Amino acid sequence: MVVQTPNGFSLDTAGQRIVVDPVTRIEGHMRCEVNVDEDNVIRNAVSTGTMWRGLEVILRGRDPRDAWAFTERICGVCTGTHALTSVRAVEDALGITIPDNANSIRNIMQLNLQVHDHIVHFYHLHALDWVNPVNALRADPRATSELQQAVGPNHPMSSPGYFRDVQNRLRSFVESGQLGLFRNGYWDNPAYLLPPEADLMAVTHYLEALDLQKEIVKVHTIFGGKNPHPNWLVGGVPCPINVHSTGAVGAINMERLNQVSTILNLCDEFVRNVYIPDVVAIGGFYRNWLHGGGLSSQAVLSYGDIPEHANNFDAEQLHLPRGAIINGDLSTVHEVDIRDPEQVQEFVDHSWYDYGEPGVGKHPWDGVTQARFELGPNTVGERTHIREIDEAAKYSWIKAPRWRGHAMEVGPLARYIVGYASGHEQITDQVTGLLRTMDLPVEALFSTLGRTAARALEAQYCADLQRHFFDKLIANIRNGDESTANIERWEPETWPTSTRGVGFTEAPRGALGHWVTIESGRIENYQCVVPTTWNGSPRDSAGNIGAFEASLLGTPMERPEEPVEILRTLHSFDPCLACSTH
Amino acid sequence: MPQLETFYDVMRRQGITRRSFMKYCTLTASALGLGPAFVPQIAHAMETRPRTPVIWLHGLECTCCSESFIRSAHPLVKDVVLSMISLDYDDTLMAAAGHQAEQAMEDVIREYHGNYILAVEGNPPLNEDGMFCITGGRPFVEKLRHAAEGAQAIISWGACASYGCVQAAHPNPTRATPVHEVITDKPIIRVPGCPPIAEVMTGVITYMLTFQRLPELDRQGRPAMFYGQRIHDKCYRRAHFDAGQFVEAWDDENARRGYCLYKMGCRGPTTYNACSTIGWNEGVSFPIQSGHGCIGCSEDGFWDQGSFYERVTDLTQFGVEANAGEVGMAAAGLVGGGVALHAAVSALKSAQVKRQEAASEEA
Amino acid sequence: MKDTTADDEPIRSTSIHQARPDLDILPASRLTGDATAEDLESIRRRTSVYVYEAPVRLWHWINAAAITVLCITGYLIANPPPTMMIGEATQQFTFGYIRFAHFAAAFVMTIGFLGRIYWAFVGNHHAKQLFILPVWNARWWKEVMFELRWYLFLEKEPKKYIGHNPLAQIAMFFFMTMGITFMIVTGFALYSEGLGHGSWADRMFGWVIPLVGNSQALHQVHQLGMWAIVVFMIIHVYAAIREDIMSRQSMVSTMISGHRTFKDDRPD
Ligand code: HEM
Ligand code: HEM
Ligand code: NFV
Ligand code: SF4
Ligand code: SF4
Ligand code: F3S
Ligand SMILES: [Mg+2]
Repeated sequence: MVVQTPNGFSLDTAGQRIVVDPVTRIEGHMRCEVNVDEDNVIRNAVSTGTMWRGLEVILRGRDPRDAWAFTERICGVCTGTHALTSVRAVEDALGITIPDNANSIRNIMQLNLQVHDHIVHFYHLHALDWVNPVNALRADPRATSELQQAVGPNHPMSSPGYFRDVQNRLRSFVESGQLGLFRNGYWDNPAYLLPPEADLMAVTHYLEALDLQKEIVKVHTIFGGKNPHPNWLVGGVPCPINVHSTGAVGAINMERLNQVSTILNLCDEFVRNVYIPDVVAIGGFYRNWLHGGGLSSQAVLSYGDIPEHANNFDAEQLHLPRGAIINGDLSTVHEVDIRDPEQVQEFVDHSWYDYGEPGVGKHPWDGVTQARFELGPNTVGERTHIREIDEAAKYSWIKAPRWRGHAMEVGPLARYIVGYASGHEQITDQVTGLLRTMDLPVEALFSTLGRTAARALEAQYCADLQRHFFDKLIANIRNGDESTANIERWEPETWPTSTRGVGFTEAPRGALGHWVTIESGRIENYQCVVPTTWNGSPRDSAGNIGAFEASLLGTPMERPEEPVEILRTLHSFDPCLACSTH
Repeated sequence: MPQLETFYDVMRRQGITRRSFMKYCTLTASALGLGPAFVPQIAHAMETRPRTPVIWLHGLECTCCSESFIRSAHPLVKDVVLSMISLDYDDTLMAAAGHQAEQAMEDVIREYHGNYILAVEGNPPLNEDGMFCITGGRPFVEKLRHAAEGAQAIISWGACASYGCVQAAHPNPTRATPVHEVITDKPIIRVPGCPPIAEVMTGVITYMLTFQRLPELDRQGRPAMFYGQRIHDKCYRRAHFDAGQFVEAWDDENARRGYCLYKMGCRGPTTYNACSTIGWNEGVSFPIQSGHGCIGCSEDGFWDQGSFYERVTDLTQFGVEANAGEVGMAAAGLVGGGVALHAAVSALKSAQVKRQEAASEEA
Repeated sequence: MKDTTADDEPIRSTSIHQARPDLDILPASRLTGDATAEDLESIRRRTSVYVYEAPVRLWHWINAAAITVLCITGYLIANPPPTMMIGEATQQFTFGYIRFAHFAAAFVMTIGFLGRIYWAFVGNHHAKQLFILPVWNARWWKEVMFELRWYLFLEKEPKKYIGHNPLAQIAMFFFMTMGITFMIVTGFALYSEGLGHGSWADRMFGWVIPLVGNSQALHQVHQLGMWAIVVFMIIHVYAAIREDIMSRQSMVSTMISGHRTFKDDRPD
């Protein structure tokens, strides 16, 4: 049976049904089912979020100053971004402004997360969709060295001996027969296209990135005390600054700042010399595999983030762009106002929640989170043993957020498309530069590869911005301002009895918002609409499909029983299921 | 069961020299707080022990435990994964998905029955027949029970597996349940924290590989070597605590001098963990060092102990929300008032009696 | 315990300080177990009874002092005074001294309490009163109700007691015997945290922590315990002084001299 969705896709459930559960190398628990036609092309796709913890329910009645800690535990991968969103929401509700230094430090932490998360995602969650480590054993280390020097000439670790050592280590690992994480991989699937040299180079960088990522996060450790899950504070940041006098060792001092500076250099070098060159090199071998565009050419959304000045969230003051594009019309970037009850709404007709009435969408300030697990009549299997899900009924723990009724894609690619369409200078330069280097048309952006490349470009942009805010922090301190927190409205007695607020960020995976209502000093309602809630959303009452589902349609599979292509495209969104359902 | 190769075999085949192997053993010994006398013992253990298979399961969680784990510097996580253990199943990092992933787990359970370590991150929800966490179409709790059955020992990573963590905070809508309440017939070592420190995680694993036994556990099943003391016992701000020098408000002069965070709600005095000694991310800092109090993230039920900015728990039992001090003060005030009233009435009464007596005497 | 009189019908008009075996003096005290044969003998011989032996008195005042110190220092531990800048942290030990005073007083109180328990075995009859409530004795309950009515101003005249009045006995049992035990157990469990895993205090009291949930919960209940004791203290001191004035026997001086004297010589 063929169904036409309002957002322009056709779904055909006739062919063979393929189930991927668990979808691995993502955060959290997810299931994906597709139907393929006789040519093994995906004609229907169903994505299901398979976990729910109920953070929105748990937050009710709590002290709003504590909310950052709870929401931070929504996810340990994008750690800190929910915390930042939460303190912004609470500050918005209580009318709290933060000092300049706090703005710079928060921005550095948020940008640092972007860089870290993008690198870890590319190398440790996504790479094995493109890179075949077993094939790397066949590489000639000398050829690998040459490849390395060609694509990333500034990367010092490029000698043949170095690659030989890595290859030896890999070989003995493989030969031990205990394949560990590589066990049961799809290593003889023709979907893998890299020559052995490129495979060896990429595997080597997998290990380098593993060593490096633990260095990057030390910026969080310095300002927030630890990573994952650094500490935040309503009204500013918890780390005081003292660069001059006695006791400075108990605060952010010159040594701490120097350490941050060193780490920012590391980020910058790795992204510039390894990450971007790898994406270009690997992308080059897959340049004809331009599937997976999905919603990206139709409808993308970003809230914007990284305010240049403390407390100013105007779109033109944000380094990451804000805007919405719908109906594939890149010439119009719509304004986004997440306070507007008409714009962001969540639907639950196909989600395991209950609004009491069908077909309605709720703005998060009026949001309701009431779990209701039930399977549709066409489910194959039993309640606790699902073989095939019934997507005509409720089928996911993810709600379906919509912007003015449209299903939207969010994330690095969405940000880059909004930035590109609105003429954002750095973003446009980066995009045109990359397309020129790879000799690809703009349309190539709207693909799985485009998503993966946008993430890499963004890592670079964010690494640069980290330096910008670091310099700004130093300049401000030099001007004699060491203030990091505003405590005027710290005590609940200073709060209005009844208030509400919203906080937003651009998380690594996309637009993130928290909406809070506060009554008598306690949280009355708390609603999060999270990047993967957008991307992984199930259908809405009108039948619009979400970004994951849309992106899989039309993709040919080499071997339907080996879901390499499905993983590839899903991973390009960097799904985070703990985030999506929270 | 196939012959497992030893850790030393693996290291040698990977081009690691005897000398650096011995150096590794020395480092391990000191990391575990053991003297040099233990180095030969560790070396012997490494030379004769096979690479232990590990199944790493994920329930309801935020994956910060995995994220923390990959931050390990001593040993490097790549060395752990390539040379020390055989991480044969871990949904977050493994290449295979779907049926092939499930098959990998079945194979390990069969091939190494009774010989693998089960590491659990997150926890199973029990409400809704467990369907708040579904993997492979089934409740996660089934998978957990299945994998636990053939495990040699279980490691409960983090606050989730150990105690329930944030999803088990009131009202725990999914009935998220710590591992030891579901699996009761296996040795379980709890490594709490939200998340635990990376080097504590790898330290526990290397201890088990080195000594082929669980480390000494305290009453709550935590390794005493890392959880035997409170943050407060080894906090570098302790001198300010004893001096009575406290941060009185965020970003005040005392905060900039690094005074004690007790009055800002620091839970270091009630939290068992190694943060103030090992530190986070290669010892770069830890929460208190960076100016925020400890929130007690390695303690049972730390989410439900009241605001993180009050160090004494709120009492919600009596309908009103107040901490022990407020309740006590109110009670004492009430009783004090009652006593004063009683004294006044008593005085009036006795004056009355005296007057009556005087009257009757006169009469 | 042998009764001195067989006759339950009291003869009212006579003084109690007379060797008259037919006179039932202080029936309430006798029937609740408060008065022993020796006590009644004593009353007949002179106007007072020796109730609180020297160790009990000594304990009372030491205990009172220790608990006062514990409450003040405990309060300050929970609510530290404003930061004082006397010198560098190494030169200053303000909060440390407060805590030290708490622990010192805690040891005094604990050893005293152990001594008091010992004295319950070897001391006189009244030394046991703190530890046993005669809940099986119907007459005792009746006297509890009587004493309650006295405090509610519903009785014109109180009765005579040799040891504690039944209501005081209940309060002392719960707030002191149980209360001190509770504070010692929770206090030493807290103390064990500082001494560390494997210490004597940990071995003896460490089990309390998982029992109450976690260390923070332990602080909470320990602090609540303090407030219970503060409540007791307020009532206790008030009642002691009030009864000294309004009752028919001596109170405060009894805890000093050990002798209970009566203000009149009516039988009850
Ligand atoms: C009547 C008896 C006692 C009273 C009224 C009392 C009162 C208190 C109070 C109010 C606190 C502060 C609790 C908090 O907010 O954290 C405290 C703490 C403490 N008490 Fe007691 N306590 C008593 C007996 C004891 C005993 C017998 C010990 C045994 C050594 C003890 C050991 C402690 C310890 C170790 C602390 C924690 C000190 C700290 O956190 O630095 N207490 N006490
Ligand atoms: C100025 C302060 C105090 C005075 C005048 C006082 C007076 C007395 C008196 C008169 C008695 C005997 C009661 C009776 O005959 O039934 C008594 C018993 C007692 N008092 Fe106090 N008291 C004082 C403070 C305290 C304090 C602070 C505590 C502890 C919190 C305390 C604990 C006790 C106990 C446990 C007994 C029972 C002794 C026994 O039976 O061994 N007292 N007190
Ligand atoms: N989706 C999502 Fe997150 C991100 N980025 C959060 O807001 O990953 Ni866990
Ligand atoms: S214990 Fe904390 S850090 Fe670990 S998975 Fe659970 S929520 Fe995340
Ligand atoms: S900062 Fe916290 S852990 Fe450190 S001494 Fe003060 S109360 Fe203790
Ligand atoms: S909050 Fe957690 S990280 Fe350590 S300092 Fe406290 S236990
Ligand atoms: Mg939500």
